[in-house]
Amino acid sequence: MTSEAKTHAIDISSMQRDDRQLNLADEEITLQVKDLRLSYGDKEALHGINMDIPKNRVTAFIGPSGCGKSTLLRCFNRMNDLVDSCNITGQILLDDNNIYDRTVNVADLRRRVGMVFQKPNPFPKSIYENVAYGLRIQGINKKRVIDETVEWALRSAALWDEVKDRLHESALGMSGGQQQRLVIARTVAVKPEVLLLDEPASALDPISTLKIEELIHELKDDFTIVIVTHNMQQAARVSDYTAFMYMGDLIEFGATDALFTNPEKKQTEDYITGRYG
Amino acid sequence: MELENDNYSTHISQQFNEELEKIRTQMLTMGGIVERQVTDAVEALLNGDVELAEQSRRIDQQTNEMELMIDEQCTTTIARRQPAASDLRLIVSISRAVSDLERIGDEATRICKMAIELADSGANQRGFQEVRHIGNLVRDMVKDVLTAFARNDLEMAYSVAKQDRNVDQEYRTAMRSLVTYMMEDARAISNVLNVIWALRSLERIGDHARNLAEHLIYQVSGTDVRHQSLKQIKRAVRDESDDGIEDNDEQ
Repeated sequence: MTSEAKTHAIDISSMQRDDRQLNLADEEITLQVKDLRLSYGDKEALHGINMDIPKNRVTAFIGPSGCGKSTLLRCFNRMNDLVDSCNITGQILLDDNNIYDRTVNVADLRRRVGMVFQKPNPFPKSIYENVAYGLRIQGINKKRVIDETVEWALRSAALWDEVKDRLHESALGMSGGQQQRLVIARTVAVKPEVLLLDEPASALDPISTLKIEELIHELKDDFTIVIVTHNMQQAARVSDYTAFMYMGDLIEFGATDALFTNPEKKQTEDYITGRYG
Repeated sequence: MELENDNYSTHISQQFNEELEKIRTQMLTMGGIVERQVTDAVEALLNGDVELAEQSRRIDQQTNEMELMIDEQCTTTIARRQPAASDLRLIVSISRAVSDLERIGDEATRICKMAIELADSGANQRGFQEVRHIGNLVRDMVKDVLTAFARNDLEMAYSVAKQDRNVDQEYRTAMRSLVTYMMEDARAISNVLNVIWALRSLERIGDHARNLAEHLIYQVSGTDVRHQSLKQIKRAVRDESDDGIEDNDEQ
């Protein structure tokens, strides 16, 4: 009876979602944040953050305005260095090397950790030159190499088919959604390891937003992606892991599925369900 | 994250509060009607009360409609509000619960049908004792699980799930004695079969009450305990409430 039951058993393993069992402990870690404290003047904005950003996954930061999520994101490629009053202690390890070490070349770091901002910021150049820009800065001048990389980057950003016939027209003539994907193409052209996205879709219409989200899903095979978003449903849609921050603290960090169906902390619950904190 | 009792009234959106509270209230109202159906069905059968049976059958139309109404509200709320976490679990749990409630109503209606067929044969038939006993057990299960829903009381939900095992046990015992009786007296077979159908319906109502308890446990604790053993259910409930449940109820 048992053996018969076995032969007639239906294999339901294909019905399991493959990302269902995500667990931080099983992940390869790209960025490690260790007791990171950041203050603007004498006001502390991050109160000792510890977290591991997993490789080839999408990690979303959510939280109310002023919770420190953008500040934390900016720490990953040292954008806060540009703020005079900013003081940082603690460590961020990128593949086990502290990015705040004195010996680190910041330009090099920003090539490895690229960033895309809320408002698309293409350069007032042609579409082609926008994408080629990072390569030229790196001293790559071979036309064939640049041509290939530009096409690859535009394809990666799901933009190639829309712009391949007008590569030499101004990027400023593109729609907002196209401009944002162009900026993503420009960022991935230099093949960074980490892609930081700061509210990448908040200035876009719903269809462009969905295209960006689809793009994020495809890019995670090649990059580690960290995204800051005000849109909780967007975090739920695109991310594998979600971190909820509040008042400069990391409150909860875990698999997105779990965090959005059964969060562990009451503060997280209150925030994602739209209650008073 | 554990649900609190007054948790539905703390959203920033007052309208969302009202929607959730409305869905919840309507589900409990529907539960009350279904509980009445069960009580009436058993009464009608035991007392040979055809009028009560007919009346109870008509009520089933209403519970069917309520199921559709509440379920539609759940769908609409998901579409419009994208509820998360405990709100999402509340909606999912209620959507499942109304389906079980509706089926309890259907089973009660089936019992009413048996009551009408049995009415001519007079009271105190063979098996009525068992119907009364099991009927009381499952009616209390339905009542308790609704109270548990109203209070978000996981321990009460667990005791309902546990009680289902007793009902199954009693059902098997009743079945054995009724089979014996049919073998002894072939003339009674048709009547006894009707009693068996009624008992079967009561046993199914017990199963649905257990399902309801499981939905509540999911709603409050976030652990899906469907198709789990009592032991696993107890663990889920205990993880949620620190005071725990007394240990002496395992087999």
